Amino acid sequence: MSGFSTMNTAISGLLASQRALDVVGQNVVNANTPGYSRQSVRVSSVGAAPSSTLHSGNAQAVVGGVQIDTVERIRDTFLENTRVAAGASLEAVKAQTSALKGAEQLLSEPGDGGLQSVMDDFFNAWHDLAQKPTDEGAGAVVIQRAKTVVSQMAFVSNGIEERWETSLSELQSTVSELNQAASDLAKVNQRIRESHVVGRPVNELLDQRDTLVRKLGELAGGKPSVQSEDGMVSVNVNGLALVSGVRAEQFTLTGGTTLAQATTNPPTVTFGSAQVSVASGKAAGLLAALRTDLPEVSRQLDGVAVALRDVVNMVHATGSTTSAVPGGLFFDGTGASNLTVVPAVTGQLAVAQTAGAIDGNNALAIADLAIDANAEAILGPGSTGPSGLWRNLAANVGTQVQGLERGLEVQETVLSTADVAVESDAGVNLDEEMSSLLLFQRSYQASARVISTVDSVLETLINLGR
Amino acid sequence: MTGMRVTTRSSTTATMRGLETNLSRVQRLQNQLSSGRQVERPSDDPAATVSSMKLRSQKRADEQYLRNIDDARGRLSLADDALTSMSTQIRRAQDLLTSSRDAALSDDSRAAISSELVEIRKSVIDTYNARWIDRPVFGGTINGQNAVDPTTGDYLGDNAPIVARISRDVTMRIDVEGTDAAADVLPDLLERAADDVSNDNQVSIADDQRDLSDVLSRVLRSLGDVGARASQLETSEQNVDSERLDFVSRISANEDVDLPYAIMNLQTSQIAYQASLGAAAKVMQTSLMDFLR
Repeated sequence: MSGFSTMNTAISGLLASQRALDVVGQNVVNANTPGYSRQSVRVSSVGAAPSSTLHSGNAQAVVGGVQIDTVERIRDTFLENTRVAAGASLEAVKAQTSALKGAEQLLSEPGDGGLQSVMDDFFNAWHDLAQKPTDEGAGAVVIQRAKTVVSQMAFVSNGIEERWETSLSELQSTVSELNQAASDLAKVNQRIRESHVVGRPVNELLDQRDTLVRKLGELAGGKPSVQSEDGMVSVNVNGLALVSGVRAEQFTLTGGTTLAQATTNPPTVTFGSAQVSVASGKAAGLLAALRTDLPEVSRQLDGVAVALRDVVNMVHATGSTTSAVPGGLFFDGTGASNLTVVPAVTGQLAVAQTAGAIDGNNALAIADLAIDANAEAILGPGSTGPSGLWRNLAANVGTQVQGLERGLEVQETVLSTADVAVESDAGVNLDEEMSSLLLFQRSYQASARVISTVDSVLETLINLGR
Repeated sequence: MTGMRVTTRSSTTATMRGLETNLSRVQRLQNQLSSGRQVERPSDDPAATVSSMKLRSQKRADEQYLRNIDDARGRLSLADDALTSMSTQIRRAQDLLTSSRDAALSDDSRAAISSELVEIRKSVIDTYNARWIDRPVFGGTINGQNAVDPTTGDYLGDNAPIVARISRDVTMRIDVEGTDAAADVLPDLLERAADDVSNDNQVSIADDQRDLSDVLSRVLRSLGDVGARASQLETSEQNVDSERLDFVSRISANEDVDLPYAIMNLQTSQIAYQASLGAAAKVMQTSLMDFLR
């Protein structure tokens, strides 16, 4: 055995402890860094050199020191992919919910400010006119309340259109964010490959890579595919490769830019000339709101407007005014956004059922349309009156938002569970790091003690010769 | 979770999740309590929203029916007053005719009686032209303001009904048919009687007396009919009003917060929130570092 070789062994221990302390330090300072994966030093013992010195003939001299194999990055791919999928689903539900909740708020139901109460007031005004068919005041109230109904409908209709346009511009920025993140990921992939080639540490780059993969998932439900040997990862959106290695593709948003075009030319995310069926992520939620949910609310609202227009016009046309003129159109227009009130003065209201008489019976018939069964009888078998359609609309929106909010709660739980799972695997436990700190401190001290012991042994040896 | 590694970020994430859940529960209950409503948006309870919308609509309809009843009552009480005054005037005319049967009556007295009958005729025509907001109560649906022509005394009305809805299922005639109230005969009859008295045509006067008592009974019958309708209005008003109150309480049951229940819930979730805060503070502040020299 050579005292010098023991010295070398002890030095390798000092170096290993120092490196391990470095890694513990890195872990401790990044304990709260989002996306950081804890690292640990993997060491192995080194056997003695076949012949360390000329005089080493002792077969028991196997001590050769310790060496650092690698600094491991601890992150489980399966847990991480689960987390990416959970983030994608949550963002999808979140975006869809927020668009529909905006529409729900516009309804102002149940309450005294919604369309239901405005329509009731309108029909009730006809009751007053029925009893005072020649009263200018009662007629003016009918016309004014009709205008209130029309403007309330336009308010809701415009509000839905605004929500639609806001969602579209949100989708626009989502797509550009997506493209940015995709090209960032391609760059990180490239740096990982380069570092890999020259053998530089890549752990921090891998953390950056995983953070970008999460972002692609949240934006468009991008799925990471198996990473290659050199640490690069590819991301697919519904089978189309958004990022493959160092190459990133660009998605574009095409299609109609107004709510009116949403049914004929719906907004579409395309990849080259192919349509991307985004199944998850914020983009999917926004697309669902833009292509289905908001157009459906708008369609139902138009249904309410058309039913109100038709039912009132039909009854109005059967009567005649106080000057025996047959009743003309009462409401005009094609939908909730452009409904107008035709009569401008009391004299144009067809209050009477018998031409020339002032009986108010036609006004009463219009007033009675507030009763659903009457409106449905006029509109024909199997139809629903305006109030009924409006209540259906409120129920549909309410049910959908309720379902989405429940989904949101579930997805939040799923995400937080996935987060906890990832963090408990890849996160830093300070107690653990503290004990490692002590451990490596002690091992450093012990290695140093070996050196001083060998030193004193050598000193003894040298003094022998005096 | 057994066997799971616990790390700073995993325990923070889990703790924050728990705190957020508890806090959002507290906040939802606080919102409900401060607004007093548990159904503020359709998604709070779609079924309750729909029935609430329906109930509110029916309540508003009932409020309108009550207004219709009020209007109808005004119109009928105007008719009632008119018919009552009519009957008084007919009785006065009867008295005058009875006194004109006295053969010893002087020509001057006869002329006085005749001119009083003429006055009664004018006043009766005025009464027939009673108006409720520019519409003659006894004129049906004619396009004019008079049921009886003020000069000729001809009946102008068409006897067509004016109808109002006084409850969901009931409509009621709210004017008086002119011919029921003898508007077509009384002015002429009084004119004839005045002539007969001034001409001392005793035979005709006897006929007039008989006709007049016919007219009186018609007017009284009409008065009875108006009274019956007024009492139907009262009944309907009570029914509609109690239905309205029922709707109000059902709307409240549907939409409003059950206070004791909500307050109890708030207390419970506040305690849960405080407990989770306390637990988080206790667990997260300790570390191995506290025990190392």
